[in-house]
Amino acid sequence: MKVARYLLAFACASALLLGWGCKKPTDSKNNTVTVAYVTNGVDPFWDLCAAGVRIAEKEFNIKCEVHMPTKGLVDQKRIMETLLAKGIDGIAISPIDAENQTAFINEAAKQTKLITHDADAPDSDRMLYIGTNNYKAGRALGELVKAALPEGGEVMIFVGRLEQLNARQRRQGVIDELLGRPEQELSTAKFDPVDAKNLKAEGSKYIILDTRTDNFDKAKAKSNAEDTITKYENVACMVGLFAYNPPACLDAIREANRTGKIKVCGFDEPDAMLQAIKDGTAQGTISQQPWKYGYESVKAMKRILDGDTAFIPENKFMEVPFLVVTKENVDEFWATKKEMAELGKQ
Amino acid sequence: MKKNILGILGLLIAIFVITAVLNPKFVSAYNMQNLVKWSSLYSIMGVGVAFVIITGGIDLSIGSVIGLTASLLAFTLGKNWDPVVAICAMLGLSALIGLIHGLLITKAKLQPFVVTLCGLLIYRGMARWTTDNQSMGFKGHDQLNEIFSGKIPITDTFALPMPFVFLVVIAVAAALFLNRTIWGRYLLALGNNEEGARYSGIQTDNLKIAAYVICSLLAGISGLLFAFELDSVQPAQTGEFYELYAIAAAVLGGCSLRGGEGGILGVIIAAAVIRLIYNSINMLGISTHLEYAILGIVILAGVVADELLKRYTAKRAAQ
Repeated sequence: MKVARYLLAFACASALLLGWGCKKPTDSKNNTVTVAYVTNGVDPFWDLCAAGVRIAEKEFNIKCEVHMPTKGLVDQKRIMETLLAKGIDGIAISPIDAENQTAFINEAAKQTKLITHDADAPDSDRMLYIGTNNYKAGRALGELVKAALPEGGEVMIFVGRLEQLNARQRRQGVIDELLGRPEQELSTAKFDPVDAKNLKAEGSKYIILDTRTDNFDKAKAKSNAEDTITKYENVACMVGLFAYNPPACLDAIREANRTGKIKVCGFDEPDAMLQAIKDGTAQGTISQQPWKYGYESVKAMKRILDGDTAFIPENKFMEVPFLVVTKENVDEFWATKKEMAELGKQ
Repeated sequence: MKKNILGILGLLIAIFVITAVLNPKFVSAYNMQNLVKWSSLYSIMGVGVAFVIITGGIDLSIGSVIGLTASLLAFTLGKNWDPVVAICAMLGLSALIGLIHGLLITKAKLQPFVVTLCGLLIYRGMARWTTDNQSMGFKGHDQLNEIFSGKIPITDTFALPMPFVFLVVIAVAAALFLNRTIWGRYLLALGNNEEGARYSGIQTDNLKIAAYVICSLLAGISGLLFAFELDSVQPAQTGEFYELYAIAAAVLGGCSLRGGEGGILGVIIAAAVIRLIYNSINMLGISTHLEYAILGIVILAGVVADELLKRYTAKRAAQ
């Protein structure tokens, strides 16, 4: 028993030493550079992003590791530290808590080429931010609601959490569009309070009843939708801002026998939502085309590593276009998504 | 024990009446149906963990077992397994998990906290790994959907949700086991004083193992019910932290964490109280950000009131 333990310790130590010895000449051994794509968690959304990473890897002859931290901030930091220790050439990160991670991101940016994707850390030294303009996407979602309810009506918003900037921006986009307010600049956008109820505006036919959060619990998301059906008999449209919200609304509506009477508009591209759009029970959804995140991130890192920084806009924000998916283009979009999901798994 | 139930029942009625007065739509058939459904879903795992808590143990892996059975069910059905085989396999798997917990705790003398905490990590990891962490659904399984999340019409507007039927069967069986069989008595005795129970000739190890098997099995059943209720499974999220709801329901319902005390009805009422609070918050339009705070305060107030009531009655009995 004791011998085995010593052997194990010896094996560990030699493996460590070996690893250490080999660490340095990563890029001299072969000339493909290695970058990393770090997500903010584990989610099928990120598998779709990974598909874009894989496409870009082939196209630009670059190697990219994809890392998905399972347990939040601490895990993300651990992954980043390991990558830096390995001497990675570039990192694209989706910071979990941008504001408080700024110092750490700056530290990392000193050691490698660092860009942010999906969520930005605006006060950090990142070279570039690649993401959706969530405010504009929210306004596009508002337009979907208008198309669903041309006569106006009561609208309820559902979201996982409002602590996240992208969620707040989406919500504000929807509210501003429905209440006919002028378009705001993303960086200076003003937000309605998180518990604002019965938002109305003169000249607007829409009332935004409330925003309910569920902390990413799907059961809670569904019961929030059910409780809305109970509390507000005249609710005419449910808007889900996170991927799982619209399907939860659709379920609740179907079980209350109100299919078609209560419209659904949403964000992201879960199969249940795409099916509902196809069937006509949901109006449409806004897709951020996640694969483009992965693709554009790797492409940008490759260009930066090649010494080309001229493409970086002055405000450091590279917008990935979102796509409005409705009955007209759902088939084509779904086919792409399936293809990407397969690719992302590899 | 009876008084414990009175306290929690009082809390249930108080919140019910207050919400109904403030928003009459609360008592609509549709809302009652939803409330019954969610209460039943969360009660089942509460009943399971009650058995473990009665033995003086704890099970932290419930949420992960729910996630694992839900994920594997969707996964195997997606691979065209026969539904009956798939469901039996899931029930078998969850019972096996309980058996492993029980053996590790009794035979290897490991602490329940550690064993089930590791279980929490292992099963979640397995669920994500086997399914590539993809969201999955149950398209084309209408019959299973009817069984697990269907409704039995009672009146024109009110239908009894299937999870309630499951709960009634499980609760009756559990209550009979605990109160009417010798093993149930033994279980309580073992929780009170394990050494003493063993010296009186009770096979404490086997009973403990049985408690863990029951707990994991009921978590597995909850997993199936949640999967069909939500029609979609996300291996990384389904069931996450649900053990806390289960343990809260068991403790609030009169199970002592020190073991040896507890009943089934109390656990069910307590699970219903937690769901009722969530429902009331939505009905009254209170900000969802306040939810946890309200839940904590109401439960704490309930426990304090219960404790005061107990002391008062004890004092009166002494006089």
